[in-house]
Amino acid sequence: MDSLIELGLQVPVKLDSTLCSRFRCTKSECAACAVVCPAPGAVRLGDGAGNNSAAINAACVACGACVAACPNGAIQLQENDSRVAQRIAQKVRVGEVFRFSCSRAQGRADMVQPCLSRLTEALVLEPIRRGAQRVEMCAPDCSGCGLKKAAPQWERTLAFSQALCESAGLGAARLSSVRTPVGDAEEIRLPARAPNSRRRLFGSIAERWKTSGNAPFPESGVADEAEPEVFRHLVQRHSENPKRMDLLRVLDALPGLKVTTKEVSTTGFPLAQMEVDRRCVGCSVCETLCPTGALTHREEGGTYTLEFDAAQCTGCRICESACYHQVLHIRETVDLSLLFERSRVTLLSAQLSQCRGCGERVLGDAAEYCLACQVSGDRRDTVARSFFSGGI
Amino acid sequence: MSEYSPIVPREAVERSFAKQGPKQYTLWVDIEHCIGCNACTIACKAENNTPVGVDYNRVIEIEEGDFRDASKTPNVGVTFVPMPCMHCGQPACMAACPVGAITKRKEDGIVLINKDKCIGCRYCAWACPYGAPQFNAEAKIMEKCTLCVHRVEKGLQPACVTTCPAKVRFFGELNELTMVMKERRAKGISISVGGADTKPSVQYTSK
Repeated sequence: MDSLIELGLQVPVKLDSTLCSRFRCTKSECAACAVVCPAPGAVRLGDGAGNNSAAINAACVACGACVAACPNGAIQLQENDSRVAQRIAQKVRVGEVFRFSCSRAQGRADMVQPCLSRLTEALVLEPIRRGAQRVEMCAPDCSGCGLKKAAPQWERTLAFSQALCESAGLGAARLSSVRTPVGDAEEIRLPARAPNSRRRLFGSIAERWKTSGNAPFPESGVADEAEPEVFRHLVQRHSENPKRMDLLRVLDALPGLKVTTKEVSTTGFPLAQMEVDRRCVGCSVCETLCPTGALTHREEGGTYTLEFDAAQCTGCRICESACYHQVLHIRETVDLSLLFERSRVTLLSAQLSQCRGCGERVLGDAAEYCLACQVSGDRRDTVARSFFSGGI
Repeated sequence: MSEYSPIVPREAVERSFAKQGPKQYTLWVDIEHCIGCNACTIACKAENNTPVGVDYNRVIEIEEGDFRDASKTPNVGVTFVPMPCMHCGQPACMAACPVGAITKRKEDGIVLINKDKCIGCRYCAWACPYGAPQFNAEAKIMEKCTLCVHRVEKGLQPACVTTCPAKVRFFGELNELTMVMKERRAKGISISVGGADTKPSVQYTSK
C-alpha cells in the first residue's frame, strides 16, 4: 500500500481464486456471487475466454451476501465466519430463542447484521449447536431495502439449514423466519465484566510486552517477489473449503443428533451425488478442476480408482461440464445424510494399460495404442485421404 | 537458395506482414508438387525443439491405384499431404479446452496453446478433426504448430516454409495469399471433414 487513497479503496472482502469455480474452469457458469451482490459493479465475472474468474472491486459494500452465496467458500470478509461464530457462542442462552436480525428490523435481537444474507448455514446452526432451543431470523419486507438483491440468499441459507436440521433429526421448526415492522434493531449487549480501569490497561500492556516483546516483526514484501505460480501447477493443489469445514464441524457437534435420510433436489442445494460410466478414459480432469478436492484418484498396481467425497462436494458442477467424454452424471436428488456420514464412494475402478505411442498409462483393455493416439492418427489419415475420395 | 519462392515472392510476404488490423496468417501447400521429403517435419522439429513423438507437422502418404489386377495396366501413384495445424477460424480445440488455455489471436489469427495454463488433459486432441495437437509426455502438456510465431513476430517466415526444397509451402496473410495464387490460376481448397466446420485457414492446391 503506497498511499491513503489506496487505503480508502481497499476491498473489504478477500477472494481466494483457487477456490473459485470460474477461475479453475472456463466452462463454469457459476455466478453465485454476482447474482446476490447488491452493489452495482462490485463483482465482475470473466468472459469465459482467457480469464473467466470472478473479481471483486472497491465498490463492495461488505454486506457479506457473496460470502454466504459462494458454495466453495472462496470469499471471506475481514470479520470471518469463525469470529462471528465466536460472538454467537458467547451470546447464546441455553434453552432459549436466539434472534438474528437485520439492521432494518424493529426490536431487540442477539445479533444484528447489516443484512441477514451475511449468515452462512454454519452460522445459522451455531446457536443450536451451543444449546439454543430455536433460531429466529427477523427481517422486515426486503423489497424496500437497498440490499434487496441479496435477500434471496438468506432465504436459501435458511431453507438449506432447515433441511439440514431435519436430516439431523432435530426438526425444521427449530429454525424460522419472522417478519417484523421496519425500525431500528437493537443488539442485546453482553453483560459487561469489570469496568476497564487504567490500572488494567497498563497491566495488560506489561503482560503483552513480557510475552511478545522479543518476537520478530512480520516480514513484509518478501512473498511478493516470488514468481507467481503458473495456473497449471496451481490447479493441482486443492485448498480446503473453509465454509464447508465450518459447517461439518457444526453438524458433528449438534446436540441430540440423530441422522435420518433426507432426499433433496440438487438444484438449489450446494451438494451432489454422481455416477461415472464405463466410457471414462481416466484423464482425471474432474479431479484436477474440482475446487474443493471432492474427487480424488489413486493408481495402485494396474488399477485406476476414482473416489468421491460427497461431504466436500458443493455441487458446482465443474466436473460435469468439463468432462469432454460426458461420462460423469450428477443425480437429480441428493441425500443430506451424506454430510454427516462422510463416506467416500468409489465411482470407478478400472484396469490401466500403457500406450506405445505417448507412453501414458490409460484406461481400457491392453490395446497397443491408446484411444487418444489412435483417434489423432486416424483423423490425419482421413483428412489427407479426403482429397482423393471426393470428400471435399 | 533463397528462402522465398518465385510463386510467392518476397514482396507478397512483406505485404502480408505490413497489413494492418485483424488478419489471418496461414500456410498454402501445393500437394501436386510435394515430393514427400519431410524436410518441413525436420525443420519444424529443429526449430521448435520437439521431443520424439511430438511432431507439429506430419506428412501423410496416400497410395493410389492397384498393380495386382493382371488384366489391367498397373497404375499406381503416391501423394504426400503435409498436415500442420489448420489455424481454424472457429477452432474446435479452443472450444473443447476446459481451462481456456487455447486462444486464437485477433491480430494474426494464430491459434496458440498457453503452456502455463495447459493441464495436459488432451481434450484438444480429441476435438481437433485434423489430429494437430500433440501430447508432450515429458512435460505432460499439449503442444501444436504455432505457425512459428516467434519467427513471424520478427518478420520471418515459418521454418517449414523457408526449408521446403520443392518450394510447395507458402506463408502469408490469407487474403493476400489467395490473391497471389489466383494470378497463378491455382485454386485453394481447405480441407474440412466431419459435421462441424471449424473453418480451417490452411489452403491446399490439389491436382
